[in-house]
Amino acid sequence: MADFSWDIRGPLDRALVAGAYGAQGDAGVSLTEIRNFDLVQVMARRGKAGETAKAAKARFGIAAPETPRAVAAADATLIWSGPDQFLVLSKDGRHSIESLAIVFAGSASLSDQSHARALISVSGDKARAMLAKLSSIDLHPDVFGVGAAAATSMDHTSVTLWRGNDRSGQAVFNLLVFATFAESLWHTILDSAAEYGVTIGHSEEL
Amino acid sequence: MRIVCPFCGERELGEFTYLGDAKPQRPAADAGEDAVYDYVYLRDNIAGVMSEHWYHGGGCRAWLKVTRNTLTHEISAVEPAAGAGAAKVGA
Repeated sequence: MADFSWDIRGPLDRALVAGAYGAQGDAGVSLTEIRNFDLVQVMARRGKAGETAKAAKARFGIAAPETPRAVAAADATLIWSGPDQFLVLSKDGRHSIESLAIVFAGSASLSDQSHARALISVSGDKARAMLAKLSSIDLHPDVFGVGAAAATSMDHTSVTLWRGNDRSGQAVFNLLVFATFAESLWHTILDSAAEYGVTIGHSEEL
Repeated sequence: MRIVCPFCGERELGEFTYLGDAKPQRPAADAGEDAVYDYVYLRDNIAGVMSEHWYHGGGCRAWLKVTRNTLTHEISAVEPAAGAGAAKVGA
């Protein structure tokens, strides 16, 4: 029987080529894949939404979002993903599924999504124009401000989209996409962004 | 057509999947073969206001009960279907 060797590989390892892409000159869109994060789905059990909220508050020091929002705790981001459910995004094992299992024992069901999603951060002058081609969500700053989140679809692919804190005065949009759909969406994003010029990179900073 | 999801807000049709008539109720265990046949197979083809199940699979993944006019596509009410979320209904 053949021997297999399994390489641990990120979902965008093949597709992501760091550097410039598309139109030359000042890049209008900056794409950064965020790697090595911890992501846990928390879903309140039936009739346990109150207990789940209380446990989240005790753990993170802030209330978990009950509407489509992303809220920043000291060392995690809590992102709404549906009624009575949210995602916990963190790094360095601070809020791994093992540690959260104790916190939400009896109140919520957890599912480790750390290796099931790719996280893409989109910024730049033309970020909004580029995303507008893919999304039917109104991304105007008056409507989709810092902390706004949406469970939505882009190019027929389910994504979790939220606006993080501005960086260098520019809006930052974060996109969580299913790992096996990430490469497809990545190419669609590149097609959409090419006319504005793109800077591509990756980072481990959330 | 757009549907105002009670959890997400107004969204395009492409995020939703139609899941059929919301009216049929599962008959009691002793209701007899005709009632079960009716429940499983027979559907009214309503020209007008109809209660329907829709699934917001491209969004929050909640099941919704939508009251829609099949002639005009006018939607007069959207509510979470029983069991959507842990607290909203059916808790």
